[in-house]
Amino acid sequence: MKVALLMVLTAALACVPDALQAQGKAPAKDVLLYFVWPQNGSTIKGSFWCRFGLRNMGVTHAGDDFPNSGHHHLLIDVTEPLDVNEPIPADKNHIHFPAGQTEAHLELPPGKHTLQLVLGDARHYSFNPPVVSEKITITVK
Amino acid sequence: MPDKVRGINSGGRIDKDSEPSRALAPRRLAAIVAGDIAGYARLMEFDEEGTHVRVKRIQRDLIEPAIIEHYGRLVKTTGDGFIAIFDSPLEAVRCAIVIQQNMTGRNAVLTRNQAIEYRIGVNLGDVIIEEDDIYGDGVNVASRIEGIAEPGQVYISGGIYEQIKNKLVCGYESLGDRKVKNITDPVRVYRVLPDPTAFKSRRRRDTVLVVLISLTWLGIATAAVWYWFPRVKVQDVASAPTSPQLQSADANARQSAQSSKAAAVATPAAAARPQSPPASPAPADKQAALQMAPVTPQAAAVREPEMNMLRGGTFAMGSNEDITEKPVHHVTVKPFAMSKYPILVREWNQCAAAKACGFVATGNDEAPVTNVSWSDAKKFVTWLAGATHKPYRLPTEAEWEYAARGGTQTRFWWGEEFQPGMANCKNCTDVAVAEQPIKVGSLKANPFGLYDMGGGVDQWVEDCWHKNYQGAPSDGSAWMDGDCASHVIRSGSWRNDSRYVRPANRETYDDARYQTHGFRVALSP
Repeated sequence: MKVALLMVLTAALACVPDALQAQGKAPAKDVLLYFVWPQNGSTIKGSFWCRFGLRNMGVTHAGDDFPNSGHHHLLIDVTEPLDVNEPIPADKNHIHFPAGQTEAHLELPPGKHTLQLVLGDARHYSFNPPVVSEKITITVK
Repeated sequence: MPDKVRGINSGGRIDKDSEPSRALAPRRLAAIVAGDIAGYARLMEFDEEGTHVRVKRIQRDLIEPAIIEHYGRLVKTTGDGFIAIFDSPLEAVRCAIVIQQNMTGRNAVLTRNQAIEYRIGVNLGDVIIEEDDIYGDGVNVASRIEGIAEPGQVYISGGIYEQIKNKLVCGYESLGDRKVKNITDPVRVYRVLPDPTAFKSRRRRDTVLVVLISLTWLGIATAAVWYWFPRVKVQDVASAPTSPQLQSADANARQSAQSSKAAAVATPAAAARPQSPPASPAPADKQAALQMAPVTPQAAAVREPEMNMLRGGTFAMGSNEDITEKPVHHVTVKPFAMSKYPILVREWNQCAAAKACGFVATGNDEAPVTNVSWSDAKKFVTWLAGATHKPYRLPTEAEWEYAARGGTQTRFWWGEEFQPGMANCKNCTDVAVAEQPIKVGSLKANPFGLYDMGGGVDQWVEDCWHKNYQGAPSDGSAWMDGDCASHVIRSGSWRNDSRYVRPANRETYDDARYQTHGFRVALSP
């Protein structure tokens, strides 16, 4: 019993710094982030519209701190793991959609590419556990 | 303002019953806001149901809550417009600006045929108020002013202007006395300029006006001299020194810029900066004070950023390293001044203290301000320009690259290969990746004496985003047409790797805040 109490206490204490930094917010339980298009394994000619699907949570602007909502980030050919303690990077491989967009026109060089969606909160931190889509692989001709 | 706007977004949740009830007097002085949609017929023709739904949604989600938030009352809505009254002219204009700015945001992601633009007119008048309508001259004038407003703009009458001119910090462009339909007396009309790009064109027009007036005066003066030569001689002598003085002041400014540049270049491996800015007033001010001794210290109210004067010239912009940087093209940049460092937390907070910038920045005062959206940056330069009466602005993309290259055409300003310790980027220095970029001026300046042109913070420029340089201007001006939902950012940040430090590298971001985004300012001589 004592051990259990101690464990709970330790766990609670461990949570404190995270709570203070207001990072890693909990997402909705049954949230689903997915690609409407393209499908995993598809072969695409030229540029294309990539469409993002999100179920059981809402899309909003970056900076808007509404409960149960976030905005999309598209990771192109990213191999390093996501760090929930850092804002989602912004660079040529991490495309942000802070205006609440749910689709993007992509022009990728020919070859194999991976795509993955990550939902970010108002301050571009990923949720904890992260809300991510399946990492899909497409081939651009 | 964005905070306000955001508040409005969530305004749908405002309980309508909480609207303060007011006794209805038969006559009352009120600020009347009239708005309607430009090109409504065209929109309806294009997509009747869609437009109807969108308009209703805007009225429900934006206009009604905005009016309530600003202590106004929605009197009536027509198919494409609305009329509201406010007790306070200030709140009325604020409400109008909030609506227009929010509409700009909404329209950014819509096509031309879906974008809904309001024209808004505000007038002060004594009106008869009934349950669901208002009557009176003042209402008619408000809707006439609205009628002459350009889409997306707020026009106000002279009466409103007199009430708010010293209270609401934004630009006002006088459009003179306008004759409006069915109203006998002409109405003085002002355009409200929350948007600084409009401010610029206004400044230019003002300059033209000033030049014209001075030319006229010169003509008259010449005629006078010719007529009353002996008497005017004294006057002539009195007026003579002014222009040389101005010139010498100008020369001094240049000299100071050049000398500071020279000093910067001469500084051996500037690990520590010669003057540390924290305690003392901005060294630029100090230098100016030293070299232009006779100048009165009235400009001391606002500490201006240190500026380096650049001579301008032609350079090859772009590179073949990334598709966004092609084609390499020649651009001629006019002389301009660029801030020596990105705008600092300390400098930003002067604007925040003046309530002209949206948030108070935290962290080291001498580090660049971050988490700034393009609109935030524009607000800062507008405030700075207003506070100093100098046309401060964001640099154009061409100016930024010209300044970053520092006269070189290599991959980095110091050569073709990356060298550790030259820029504040990811894995480039011994400093660990942190919440905030390191203090400005910690690393070497480029040949133009500018610090952190590459690495440190990402820096907004004026230009709208274009995916490459096809059709880019060659005169160094900002490239504004096209997709303005997102703008260009330069420099790369302390969280990007060394490829982003290249002067040719370009990135883009929507008009939203992000942890690594800051900016510098420019000034035309």
